Amino acid sequence: MKRLRQLLLLGLCLLTTATLLSACVNHQKSSANPRVTVTFWHGMTGANKTTLNKLIHDFNQSQTKYKVVGRSQGNFSNLQQKITAAAKSKTLPTIAQTTYTNVPDYVAGGFVTSFDPYLSQSTLSDIYPAFLQANKYHGKYYTLPFSKSARVLFYNQDLLKQEGLSLPQTWGDIQKMGPALKAKGLTTMVFDQSYDAELDGLVAQSGGHLYPLNGKVTLDHKQTVAATHVIWDMLQNKTATTAGNDGYGSTKFFAGKTLFYSGSSAGISVMQASTPKGMHWATAPLPSYHGKQATAISCNDIALFKSASTAQRKGGAAFVKFLMRKKQTIYWAEKTGYVPLVKSAQKNKGYHQYLAKNPTAKAAVGSLDFGFQDATFPGYYQSRLALLKTIDAMTTEQVSPEKALSHLQTQMTKIIKAAQ
Amino acid sequence: MINAKPTLRSTLHALLYLAPLLLITATFTIWPVINSFLMSCYTKYNYFTDHVGALGGADFVYLWHDPDFHLAVRNTLILVGGVVPLTVLLALGAALLLNRINWLAGFFQALYFLPFVTSTVALALVWNWIFHRDNGLLNLLLSWLGIAPIDWLNDPRYSLLALIIVCIWRGLGFSVILFLAGLNNIDQRYYQAASIDGASSGQILRQITLPLLTPTTVLITINAIIANFKVFDQVYALFHGSAGPANADLTMMYYLYQKFYIEHQYPVAAASGVILFGLIVSLTALSFWYFHRRSLRLGGGR
Repeated sequence: MKRLRQLLLLGLCLLTTATLLSACVNHQKSSANPRVTVTFWHGMTGANKTTLNKLIHDFNQSQTKYKVVGRSQGNFSNLQQKITAAAKSKTLPTIAQTTYTNVPDYVAGGFVTSFDPYLSQSTLSDIYPAFLQANKYHGKYYTLPFSKSARVLFYNQDLLKQEGLSLPQTWGDIQKMGPALKAKGLTTMVFDQSYDAELDGLVAQSGGHLYPLNGKVTLDHKQTVAATHVIWDMLQNKTATTAGNDGYGSTKFFAGKTLFYSGSSAGISVMQASTPKGMHWATAPLPSYHGKQATAISCNDIALFKSASTAQRKGGAAFVKFLMRKKQTIYWAEKTGYVPLVKSAQKNKGYHQYLAKNPTAKAAVGSLDFGFQDATFPGYYQSRLALLKTIDAMTTEQVSPEKALSHLQTQMTKIIKAAQ
Repeated sequence: MINAKPTLRSTLHALLYLAPLLLITATFTIWPVINSFLMSCYTKYNYFTDHVGALGGADFVYLWHDPDFHLAVRNTLILVGGVVPLTVLLALGAALLLNRINWLAGFFQALYFLPFVTSTVALALVWNWIFHRDNGLLNLLLSWLGIAPIDWLNDPRYSLLALIIVCIWRGLGFSVILFLAGLNNIDQRYYQAASIDGASSGQILRQITLPLLTPTTVLITINAIIANFKVFDQVYALFHGSAGPANADLTMMYYLYQKFYIEHQYPVAAASGVILFGLIVSLTALSFWYFHRRSLRLGGGR
């Protein structure tokens, strides 16, 4: 027993010495080549996280000044909660994935800083204007685009062929198909639980704004009400439906009795994996309205935090610029299904080959030329929740667009006034 | 030692032993409660910089005029009113039956307790399937009774009922275990004496079991009231991060979450938390008072 105790003690001493020595060696190593650590919080999981880790690794290999350390915080909701808590406890990372719509709150909280000192015109010239316009708040780039997706029209190729129909070019085409398809027990279109993104697009196509622009709410304008009627009427006459508690319309779309589904291009890989055997579907850009095309773009950006040192900020900006480069953004798009951030990707030979092999990815990229993101403003999230509730009331309680939008107009005006 | 008169020295001594727990409670329970009370009075407040521009009751005035908050209070009261009595009755019934069987009693106890320890996400997946309009188990069972399919999770008229069912199912196991413990604590001699006197099983239940179970019933009722006033995760998971169709399942806790994490209206969230706290305290006190009066009437009392 005594011998065993002596042996254990000796082992412990050796282990402690080894640890101390290795720490010294590491310290010597790091002091010989000091790299600035840039911490990066993101909400990527699974295969997307692996792709992002590869990009982080590539960046770390590409230079000797900075070392980016990526940390997944679980899903986007967890990530946002973590950022809020860290901003309060002053433990923010250097950069984090977030949405540009959070910027007004972050600016008011005084913990975000702009990328402007680290940007040149040439860095931004190739990026789609739809992304950059939204990233700008009070004339500064507090965020830069990262993982972006567009709304696209998924269509059941088998049903379209069976019914002898061609791909709709306008929302009017979709509306016209409804009654005949309904008589055959088919649904023309399914939306996600909320159709706010489609409504956003329709209102933009009619020349209006679903969200306030420069503090002005225009929800009760004739064209906004008329645009809302496009979807509402289809839901009322049961030629279209929403996903309801299924969340995503893909579940109903895959039941095989619905011709079209309007969804996010970010869901393409998941849809491909869960397509029922024998079903064939493809994607197309969303139809036009009033002769105009406009597709809502969504997803995430990257913000730079004030608490980081000047060297860390430089490193963070260098990493974000690295991610926006043509080679990296194409790699990111090919692996994850998000869209490339730069216009020149469309002319890239390798990416063309990728699109030829993956035709379902074409619609989202093709929509970027007429893609748009709503400008953010103080009170954005209150306004958004009010909008989602209004859409829910129009869907589940059949409240007319006239009544619902008039109420929302009053609500949003109040919210904007209070937030200023 | 136990009967010794407390002195300053012995009190300090006791405080020293209690210090770790008191410190943890003060940091993680009392301080946040005080902080929320304070935050509910901030009207122009920057959460991140901690700058308070003005103090007042504007957050409570906001809640007074907010139809969503009224809906949240109404839904929460309906939920508590539906879940608590049914949980107590069903748990009592299950415990009485389980107490009678020896064979497989442990198995059934574990079965009842499972929902309590199952993750909310897993239970939401299962209940989403049970409540599904087209492929759901519940609608299949109802169809055998000739009832047309109900869209439990998409129809605002039924979605709160769906939530009530899930909450009962979730809390039942814990209440059954507590009732079983209460039943085991009843002295068997009462039953022996009653059977010698020729009492029927109904009389034994009414005159012996139920009165002697009063402390356990109080505990379970209070516990169920508190738990159901704070229902959040069941709503979040069952309706995929929404408050149900047309806000039909918006509970007070969910309202607080929306105000804090989605709308970033931190003082309003704190004010709603204060009202929730007040409601829980009042209802708990009311239940205590009712059971106390009832036990006094039965000649017991503690």
